[in-house]
Amino acid sequence: MTLSTRFAPLCVLGLAAAVSGCSRPRIEAPVADAAAAITIREGLTTVAAGAGGGAGEAQVSGTGWGGLKGRFVFAGDPGQPKPLVVDKDTEVCGKMSKLFDQSLRVDTSSKGLADVVVFVRKSSRVKNPVPTTPVVFDQRNCEFLTPVLVARVGQPIDVRNSDTVGHNTNIDGTSFNQLIPAGQGTTYTAAGEMGMPRPATCNIHPWMKAYMIFRKDGYVAVSSADGSFEIPDLPAGEPLEFQVWHARSTGSGGGLVLEQPELKWNPKGRFTLTLQADEIKDLGVLDVPASAIGT
Amino acid sequence: MFKRIGGIFWALLFLAVPVLGVATFAISPFYDHWLPKDVSTHGAAIDSLFYFILVLTGVVFVVTEFLLFWFMWKYDRNNQEGHATYIQGSHTLEVVWTIIPAATLVFLAIYQMNAWADVKMRRPSMAPTVEVIARQFEWRLRYPGRDGTLGTADDLFVVNDLHLPVDEDVLIQLKSMDVLHSFFLPNLRIKQDAVPGMKIPVWFKAREVGQFDIVCAELCGWGHYKMKGRVTFESRPEFESWLERKYAEQQATQPPAEADVAAE
Amino acid sequence: MRQSSPSHRFVAAIIAIVTVAAVGCGKTPPASFRLNMVQATKATVPESGLEKPWASWSRERQQQVATILEAMFGTPDEPVALPETGLDLAKLQLAAGPVRSDIVGRKNGLYREHCAHCHGISGDGMGPTAAFLNPYPRDYRQGKFKFKSTWRDAKPTHDDLVRLLHEGVIGTSMPSFALLPPAQVDALAEYVKYLSMRGEAEIALFTYAEQELGADEALPTTKEFLVDEVLTPIAEKWQGAADARIPVAAIPAGVDFNLPGNDLANRDSVARGKALFLGDGGCVKCHGVTALGDGQANDYDDWNKAIVAVSAEVAVGLLSSKEAATGGMSSDALADHRARSAWLDSFAHVLEGDALRPRTIPPRNLRIGHYRGGRRPIDLYRRLYTGINGAPMPGVGPSGPGGKGSVADEEIWHLVNYIRSLPYEMDGELGADRPMVAKDRF
Repeated sequence: MTLSTRFAPLCVLGLAAAVSGCSRPRIEAPVADAAAAITIREGLTTVAAGAGGGAGEAQVSGTGWGGLKGRFVFAGDPGQPKPLVVDKDTEVCGKMSKLFDQSLRVDTSSKGLADVVVFVRKSSRVKNPVPTTPVVFDQRNCEFLTPVLVARVGQPIDVRNSDTVGHNTNIDGTSFNQLIPAGQGTTYTAAGEMGMPRPATCNIHPWMKAYMIFRKDGYVAVSSADGSFEIPDLPAGEPLEFQVWHARSTGSGGGLVLEQPELKWNPKGRFTLTLQADEIKDLGVLDVPASAIGT
Repeated sequence: MFKRIGGIFWALLFLAVPVLGVATFAISPFYDHWLPKDVSTHGAAIDSLFYFILVLTGVVFVVTEFLLFWFMWKYDRNNQEGHATYIQGSHTLEVVWTIIPAATLVFLAIYQMNAWADVKMRRPSMAPTVEVIARQFEWRLRYPGRDGTLGTADDLFVVNDLHLPVDEDVLIQLKSMDVLHSFFLPNLRIKQDAVPGMKIPVWFKAREVGQFDIVCAELCGWGHYKMKGRVTFESRPEFESWLERKYAEQQATQPPAEADVAAE
Repeated sequence: MRQSSPSHRFVAAIIAIVTVAAVGCGKTPPASFRLNMVQATKATVPESGLEKPWASWSRERQQQVATILEAMFGTPDEPVALPETGLDLAKLQLAAGPVRSDIVGRKNGLYREHCAHCHGISGDGMGPTAAFLNPYPRDYRQGKFKFKSTWRDAKPTHDDLVRLLHEGVIGTSMPSFALLPPAQVDALAEYVKYLSMRGEAEIALFTYAEQELGADEALPTTKEFLVDEVLTPIAEKWQGAADARIPVAAIPAGVDFNLPGNDLANRDSVARGKALFLGDGGCVKCHGVTALGDGQANDYDDWNKAIVAVSAEVAVGLLSSKEAATGGMSSDALADHRARSAWLDSFAHVLEGDALRPRTIPPRNLRIGHYRGGRRPIDLYRRLYTGINGAPMPGVGPSGPGGKGSVADEEIWHLVNYIRSLPYEMDGELGADRPMVAKDRF
């Protein structure tokens, strides 16, 4: 074999490699349908004649107020809470008590699942006005004292730092990320409704994490240590879609998926109920299967 | 018949090289493809060196190429009877065409020393007018500020927009913030590599007011081709007032007045 | 001379053919926007009881969003600006499309000429050069911008964007465009807003699809939904940016920014600023006692944090999916399991190709004297007041109008004075924690 024949394949390979390059492999993205886009655009630019028909079912509304309550019980084994890695301000953090991951709190005796958030996705009437008393969000020993904070949009939140070191409280999705020196506090007025609870963290002490949810109508409840929750003053006579959420749930978006076929519990962690006036519907014990809670 | 034309073809092809070469140089100035306008005081010396070398090498080039053509034409194989004679080489020829170019080059080396020294060795003893820090892919400029010393808190920081006084000696301290760049002022015949870790002085004097280019002349990354700046030469009072204006902007402690804010 | 052998000619022919084949001889197709594939994959989570296979269902839904976005915003060559956005179409047309000159000789295609190679054609911060840059170019699609004059979660004003283009961002690969004619800079700023609005609309559409739609429902394409519900809230935030500027307190006595920081007249102010910095506010926890930025190095900015969170979820999901016992599953459960595995695999692919490797964001070294958002006193004041949106940097001022900050507004100027003096601080000031002063370092 002459020299040139030996080199020929190498040349070709080298050229091919040089030309194709070493770019990252990208999945093929879907391409828009140009004709359909033009049709949609025409619909967006013409002035709508008459009250736009289309989305917007008539909002069913009734009179009177009801309530909802229940108790979440965890059917699985919560295991031991993991200790948190505390590597800043170690003279202060974790000194009063060791710091553990509090995202899954199950009561040992009653197996109640705490910190489950139940809220109404859309309501037509609200009974009570926005309270002016602030709800308190405090931190000490380098941990947040409230795992899930609920506030109504427009309600003041008293963000305090009762610790001996400075913290910064960073509420995801809001304009609030403020340095709060030790022993001080500030007020933040909850602005902007959240679709799902969002984390509040401290950038200086990255292990600190709590959740907050701001809703306009205030129909939110967080389950207590024994797993029980209650939402009073719900509008009766209209179908209310409830969203159930937990920080450690495996459902999409954090929705807690239970096996409750009578409630038609859907995979997004939602169920719909219509309450009668003056009815306090008790859902009883709601079993949370082990598969609904992840790591 | 075709063989003869074949021979002519190659000879004429090689003749085209000097013809086109000279033609390009002759026509270029009319299409503005020639040396950029020179506004510096030392530029004339550099340009004259350029022309001298151009003419010298041009003449040698034309002669050599013509000889090549001539030998291809005259001694084309299809035109000759018998074979070429093989000779062992000509010692005289070798000596001649080694000594003459060597002497020419030595002459050039000595002839240009003064021009080189003016630009690269005879630094004026003055404080730097400005510090130019080359960065991918822009020119960061740092003026000394009112106290006249670089590296103090009242320095003025500007980007890409170099202003300098005209008809005055200017000393630039050239640095690089990341990789090799080259500070090239085409209209002042100044080119100096900016080497990371070195502070390299560059000096010149401009004769005319105007705005000219700063270009990067050392491949520094993907943005090398667009690493352009602008140098503006203006009278000393205008230069000072520009510095004042820029310094006041740098000290801004209030948002701009409502009148300056464009309507959304 | 030897005649060229057959093998020589063969090699030459092969090389010629391969070159021509690789280069091609057709026109390049027009550029098109790329979907935010991370959002798209996140939003098309398979649900139980899907009638068609997950792959085709998710593709249809993603294509729907792509079509709606093209209806609302057009293509990279032909932008569309609905009147509700408040964008100037003429400026967008100047910036959009391939680089060319129009009939009056004006330069068009500005975005593609100056910005697209880093920021990407869709403004995703993943252009061809992005992977080589540290920090990564900005991803406009979240609508978050770091260096602006407004409240933390408000949008930047048009002037903020123009200023950024003018000054560049020192310490990053964002160059200064000060030498472009002002009309071109204006057009580029407008196009950035356009890309940002488009990205935010995309996220809103995907969030709506994930939260509200069932598996067999299509996205509504009515004007009420697309314009009133999706577009108008986004556009209003942008249009309200000029009204969301933070108030700037008057400069207290004892502070003169026209004098150097270590001038006697400023000494008390610098001392007060130093006390605030070293105090229990928390600045030193990240920036370090020496302000060298050596406090901590394990936090992410919001853009990288999102990728980290998603990657962790996908990794956990893949692990549990592999470990799941498929033997005892019913046919429905098996179908769901398969769909979920396909989704996780696809997500892993998307994270490889459509997301840059996450990088931590180190706290800034304040002794170098390079301030990314600008070095004027007002710029430093704004960074301190609201913190930096998208970065872990918190603010010391109030978080909204009428709020209360941890440092009084006027006192922030003392902090500004201290920070500006840091690069010029004399060696003897810190004793044992002696930092390298900027002069020596550079």
